[in-house]
Amino acid sequence: MRVTVDRELCVGSGACEVLAPDVFEVDDDGAVRVLQAEPDDEDAVRQAAQQCPTRALSLED
Amino acid sequence: MSVEAPIPPADVDLATVDLSDREWWVRPPAERHAALDRLRAERPFAFFAEPEIPGIPAGPGYHAVTRYADLEAISSQPAVFCSGKGAVSMQDVPAELHEFYGSLISMDDPRHAKIRRIVSKTFTPRMLERTLDSVRTIVDDVLARARATAEADDGAIDVVADLAAPIPLRVICDMMGVPEADRPGVLANSNIVLSGGDPELIENDDPLTAFLTAGMEMATLMERLAAERLADPRDDLTTALVRYEVDGERLSHQEIASFFILLLVAGNETTRNAISQGLLALEEWPQERARWAADPSLDRTGVEEVVRWVSPVTWMRRTATQDGEVGGHRFTAGEKFLLFYNAANRDPEVFADPQRFDVGRDPNPHVGFGSKGPHFCLGAHLARRELQVTFRAVFEQLPDLEVTGPPHRLASSFVNGLKRLPARIGGTR
Repeated sequence: MRVTVDRELCVGSGACEVLAPDVFEVDDDGAVRVLQAEPDDEDAVRQAAQQCPTRALSLED
Repeated sequence: MSVEAPIPPADVDLATVDLSDREWWVRPPAERHAALDRLRAERPFAFFAEPEIPGIPAGPGYHAVTRYADLEAISSQPAVFCSGKGAVSMQDVPAELHEFYGSLISMDDPRHAKIRRIVSKTFTPRMLERTLDSVRTIVDDVLARARATAEADDGAIDVVADLAAPIPLRVICDMMGVPEADRPGVLANSNIVLSGGDPELIENDDPLTAFLTAGMEMATLMERLAAERLADPRDDLTTALVRYEVDGERLSHQEIASFFILLLVAGNETTRNAISQGLLALEEWPQERARWAADPSLDRTGVEEVVRWVSPVTWMRRTATQDGEVGGHRFTAGEKFLLFYNAANRDPEVFADPQRFDVGRDPNPHVGFGSKGPHFCLGAHLARRELQVTFRAVFEQLPDLEVTGPPHRLASSFVNGLKRLPARIGGTR
């Protein structure tokens, strides 16, 4: 699985960082940075993508 | 027990339901939810007139959105349903006023995105880790004081004044670096701003003036703090806010003052009401209380259920920027929609047995922090952790807390609040 973030859509809610702190981090610009483009914990990342309030995360299998 | 028992709802006559009438909102929750159930099922875009407020002309009225799917559709299309005409009032108010009180809430992109970036940096999970340590200290101290208050007064406490109000207020004031001497004033002013015009909280008979005065006092305090931190940086959120830049832009001191008011409005009162009404729900559902108290692994789902059950913010407003259609309802530009989160949070299309308080509910896709879209609650992470720490600490340190009721409800359509909730500590549960 590959995960990418649209930083224009992202509002930095940090919901994904709570669910998968090894994969996502809200950075100094207040938007999410992907730390692990091919994440180990796919379930958590799927949940993060689903819960993202601005639907800024995209997953590719 | 004299608190409101979860009685089966009576048959509701929708002709007597006026969501704009603040007195309607002090009715028992079972009656209110029965009415919202019927609106959701029969009139999902029911139209209501706006209330009269002295000094502000009443507008054309609004549609009450009560179905989860419609609420999500509106919330996730901010270009079609904007916030910039006012998100926290039914009436259109001057732009300066609602930006001042609503800050980010009543702003649209691109301005919203830019400012949200500045503040979201200070609210990331990592930034909050240290704050969360202090949350534990604050909660322990507040609970110890509540016990002392009870021991000095025959076991009686007020859940609102002695437990629910001081916790979020101290957390936010600590984060912002508000000096101890200024805190009673902050509490009093935030009560007025969030009073929804409840006459008990407004001393004179001119709610608009009281509201403006309270806001100005808080703004003056924050502008003073911002100037102090700029000259003499400290390790607090105010310092971060005066120093951070996005695209070379910083927040003005007035924007920081507005943001501080937003924190109080959105973070202080809401968390307070989640604590007080969460404890009330646990009194009404003793089996759920016993189950949660015995099992710390339920802290996460328990808190989510409290937020769904209480829905501390009842609604936010959106205004159509163009003609269109949503959920079978055709609308024209300028139409107002109130998103009733409390109704969506009990939509049987989404939640099994929605009128049941279930601390293990999972999944629980509630909209207590807002629905999809750029205005999702900035403080959700902080609120969740504050609530988890608070409920666990109550189970451990105040197992003898017993809500004796009845709750005194805030007469406000906007905030689902309690003014007082009598309880006792030290009895035999």
